Amino acid sequence: MSALATFKATLQDRVDGLCLLCLGWFMAALARSGLYWYFLNPKFSPLTLGAGVLLCLTGLGLLLRPMPGRASTMRLWRQAALLAFLSLAATAWGQAANEPLPGALNPAASENAALAPEDEAPVDLRPVRDGKDYVRLNLAELYIMLDKGRTDYPERFALRAVVSRTPQLDGRGHVLLKRTAVVCCLADSMELSFVTRGQGLGDLKSGDWVEVFGHLTPLASKGEDKGLVKAAPKGEGPSLSLTNPKFRIEAEAVVPIKGPDFPYLFEFREQAPFAW
Amino acid sequence: MDQSAFAIFAAIVTSIVLEAAPFLLLGSLLSSVIAVYVGDEALARLGQKSLPAQIGLGLCAGLLLPTCECGVVPVTRRLIKKGVPAGAAIPFMLAAPVVNPVSLAATWVAFQGDLSMVAGRVALVVLPAAALGWALGAIKGPDLLRPTLEMAHEAHAEGCGCGCGHDHSRGRKRPGLAQGLLEVLRGTGREFLDMGLFLIIGSCAAGLFKVFLPQEWLSLVSANLWLAVPAMMLLAVLMSICSEADAFVAASLSMFPRPALLAFLALGPMLDLKLIPALASVFQRRVALVLIIAPAVGVYMLAMSLGLAGVFK
Repeated sequence: MSALATFKATLQDRVDGLCLLCLGWFMAALARSGLYWYFLNPKFSPLTLGAGVLLCLTGLGLLLRPMPGRASTMRLWRQAALLAFLSLAATAWGQAANEPLPGALNPAASENAALAPEDEAPVDLRPVRDGKDYVRLNLAELYIMLDKGRTDYPERFALRAVVSRTPQLDGRGHVLLKRTAVVCCLADSMELSFVTRGQGLGDLKSGDWVEVFGHLTPLASKGEDKGLVKAAPKGEGPSLSLTNPKFRIEAEAVVPIKGPDFPYLFEFREQAPFAW
Repeated sequence: MDQSAFAIFAAIVTSIVLEAAPFLLLGSLLSSVIAVYVGDEALARLGQKSLPAQIGLGLCAGLLLPTCECGVVPVTRRLIKKGVPAGAAIPFMLAAPVVNPVSLAATWVAFQGDLSMVAGRVALVVLPAAALGWALGAIKGPDLLRPTLEMAHEAHAEGCGCGCGHDHSRGRKRPGLAQGLLEVLRGTGREFLDMGLFLIIGSCAAGLFKVFLPQEWLSLVSANLWLAVPAMMLLAVLMSICSEADAFVAASLSMFPRPALLAFLALGPMLDLKLIPALASVFQRRVALVLIIAPAVGVYMLAMSLGLAGVFK
């Protein structure tokens, strides 16, 4: 068989190998990039990197040591699907790269913002403010404890969140404080939120990052609280929106901050020291 | 689809594929290792055991071969082609994504050490899996797998392009280490591409549903058991979350009654938008239909029975 005939006979394996090599490279590159968190929990990046490397090896196996095989519709379909996925993924990566980071969402607010607490080292996980003791935790940690019916959550706490406002909530003297929690990937992410009222919230805009010092009070099922949670806006993003139906945050102090490096929450602890 | 919706769709599809790809690759690797190194005789000997023994082995095999639903179909296909009887392979495929150490631990952690949720989840998976193993156990491999499936590598690597469902590598001399490694790598790549097509199709479908599914309906249906159970089953299929992560999502949906959460946890690993095209492509049409419909019916009946009996509040 001539070299050209051999090349033609093994072309399908070589194309398969090239597809795998492209996907493997993409996975490895994304795992090593600073944008991995946009798609998956960063704790999985070694797994993605390992899978990317293994895919590259399988691709090289097919590319360098191909076997003769015939072209088939199924084969073309799977090659086309993989290339279409890679185009889609590259688009998503590009969008993630161009998306402004939380600290840059509201430049005007950021100018006056205090340093994000993680910029101060070491972080005081039990801050004292106006003579009151607080425990720093993240919004998802508080939400999960309440969701499980726990009663040993900190009486006073400090948490970071994004502000969301709507005319309906404004009219009832509340704003929504929310964070997006990611267990594995963006597809299973949840936008957890609390209705919140108190001093210092009036001047904030939707999208502002704040650290709120406060405590919880139960929401009544009737009276002025009736329908309050239903008035909370549902997210328009990829996450499942859940507003705590039983408690509200009473803000005692509100400090504007720059957003954290990763706007999503990836770690949740159910006892001190919290992941915050 | 406007630009914002397309951006969300692209990000969701990318994240689902990236999340599932390592597990699919692991499944493909396992399948390839079985194809190259595991002797047919050892697995075919399973066929000499009684059907209940086959079912029991299939149900428990996930504890030794941990795999999630992303990778279980190629492993099952390989096992059947190697001569593993349907009575063991089908229960393994349906149960292994849940009856494995990682998934069981995740459920235990997500539900704060609530063993009744772990046991309930296992029961809702094991019972339909065993029943299907019993019902389909007598079918032989070639009648189980789709003959028209043109898995490209079967056209050459195993010496035959007939696509008949038989493993024509039987009797072949076992390769040396270097040659075997190369065969494993090539087989893994081809297997991954074969099943990756269906992962991408399923992820696109799940992405579309995530973008367009109105969230308000969740709170509307959660108060009524008759609506909550099918709603959570539908959600499990549409969201297509990995069986090793779905417990955390279920735990967050605490407004739903527990039988509905169990239905979500049990059905997702057996049937979701990634699995449906994979099952339809690998199995004969009638078998695939049974594998798609029967687990859903079984889980619905079991979850409703638990709910109506008041076993799980």
